[in-house]
Amino acid sequence: MLPLGFQLTDEELPKVGLTMASLAQLTPIMAIQSGRCQRCQQRALAPLPDGRQYCTACVGLGRVTTTTKLWRLPSGPATPSAMTWRGTLTSAQKQAAQAALTAVNQGRDFLLWAVTGAGKTEMLFPVVAAFLSRGLRVAIASPRVDVVRELAPRFAQAFAGASLAVLFGGSAWPEVPADLTVTTTHQLLRYYRHFDLMVVDEVDAFPYTQTPMLAAAVQQARRGPTIFLSATPDKPMQQAVKRARLAVAFLPRRFHGAPLPVPRQRLTGLKQVPKQLGRRDLALLQNLAADRRVLVFVPRIAWLKPLAAHLRQAGLAVRTAHAADPERAAVVQAFRQGEFTVLLTTTILERGVTIPRCAVVVVAADDPQFSASGLIQMAGRAGRSAASPDDPVLFLARHITLAQIEAIHAIRQMNRRQP
Amino acid sequence: MNCLLCQQPLRSDWSLAQLLSFKPLTLSRLCPQCLAQFTPIDATSACPGCGRAHSPKLCNDCQRWRRQGYALLHNRAWFAYTPAMKAFIQQYKGLGDFRLHQVFADQLQLPTRRTALVPLPSEPGHYARRGFDPVIGLFGHLPLALWLEKADTAMPQAQKDRQGRLQTPQSFTAHLPAKLPPQVILLDDLYTTGRTLYHAQAALREAGYTGKITARTLIR
Repeated sequence: MLPLGFQLTDEELPKVGLTMASLAQLTPIMAIQSGRCQRCQQRALAPLPDGRQYCTACVGLGRVTTTTKLWRLPSGPATPSAMTWRGTLTSAQKQAAQAALTAVNQGRDFLLWAVTGAGKTEMLFPVVAAFLSRGLRVAIASPRVDVVRELAPRFAQAFAGASLAVLFGGSAWPEVPADLTVTTTHQLLRYYRHFDLMVVDEVDAFPYTQTPMLAAAVQQARRGPTIFLSATPDKPMQQAVKRARLAVAFLPRRFHGAPLPVPRQRLTGLKQVPKQLGRRDLALLQNLAADRRVLVFVPRIAWLKPLAAHLRQAGLAVRTAHAADPERAAVVQAFRQGEFTVLLTTTILERGVTIPRCAVVVVAADDPQFSASGLIQMAGRAGRSAASPDDPVLFLARHITLAQIEAIHAIRQMNRRQP
Repeated sequence: MNCLLCQQPLRSDWSLAQLLSFKPLTLSRLCPQCLAQFTPIDATSACPGCGRAHSPKLCNDCQRWRRQGYALLHNRAWFAYTPAMKAFIQQYKGLGDFRLHQVFADQLQLPTRRTALVPLPSEPGHYARRGFDPVIGLFGHLPLALWLEKADTAMPQAQKDRQGRLQTPQSFTAHLPAKLPPQVILLDDLYTTGRTLYHAQAALREAGYTGKITARTLIR
């Protein structure tokens, strides 16, 4: 039998072309045991009128009830393959990659704490290559589907010899067990002890930090060590580092060696927002848009339309993107190719998007919607390319908030740290 | 309490008038943002036959039902079938997330005096799979009269095209109680072609019910 490593409900079996008959030698387990869902390891049951119970935590992947059976299909080795990536790493990147490789070879979990734009993905390549060449399975997981979409082509190019599966809500099921899987953390719930190396990108991002189910999914899908990637790890993870439960490499410099752009705070009324920006705020934005692209973040989806109309009136080429927008991926692609200059968006694009020569403006940076780590990520969209490492970052705010102070402080501190 | 859809905590901003009104203070089940995603249908401009939005005259579909000899059901629907509503139905009926059955309980209010509220039941096979009856769940806060029974059909309505839906054979049977109220309101989640509701009407008539029959659906 194929080494699938899946964990499937009886209703899902036909979707991967399996029949009960072909699984005669396996015994399924009951999906809900002693009040806990065995798929997502959460205790979040709700009753049904016919007396059954179902798990409300993972219902989005297909409902699991007290009568559902869960099949845990055995996993196995992958096909060894070599890396096709021929780029080079900076010495700092090389050191971090080496440290990560040493840790995971010993079976230890590892945190790669690197500033936005340090080249985390490239640093992973040698580590992933070491595992794939030994015929071990690797998963690259992220809580954000945009990050998955951004990472997948880069890994496909770097490991052209390995079979690749890209999984997110609504994507097709992989037909053969892939050597390398790029996936959202949600989709990991479909696997059981399958991955010899697990990489979790953006561990501090929503919804990973707010959803204990996702951490459980990572634990359950792996059978080897985990590498966590973050620019802004949360308190528990920093604590784990301090107590040496987690090996760490710290990269305070971007791959091009220039410091991170420090956000400039501009206190302003924002009285007409979102209908229009103040005259001087608009002039600043137009100034930025004159010679580079601008990512404008707003705290609410409802602001996108009126603000876009206003900016269009001011003569800027604007488009918008938000979480529920079906054309989001296409809009981001068009922005990257320079088809328009201003992209108006919500926190959905705070991570993972890399656009060369791009300034960042956060409108209403004082909004409670924006956390310190979110602001650091947004500021981190600027200055990504070696050709333009000092793109400006502007926080337009009515008040100074703790989140803004923390974000600016953290960025300054990382810039001060010696590589 | 949290909003049933977005799980954000609900805020209770009661006005002084509400506090002094001696009526029970109840939290709504949806937050205003979530409720605003759904588009209510304005009854004054809806089709008098099926409740379709923006059709003050009797629409073509309803004229066809009348030509076929059916007495119009005068359906009224609360919401239009927008993408947000599709997503709700997918989560509730498709995935079977029964927690959502109370989402619209505040909106779905109906008169109960001298009226029997008759929900359209789901097929035994669907009930066995879902573990609940979606229509009875939606209207569960009202006193319901479970007069109708549905036999298993070959294919659910949701998987058919328009023609297939219209050609669906009768699968309802009605069991009436001894004492009958003068009015019946048929309840369903979705009015698409009206085929199911007119079958239900026919089943009630066949069982000998002679009072007034109208219909209410969550969505048109």
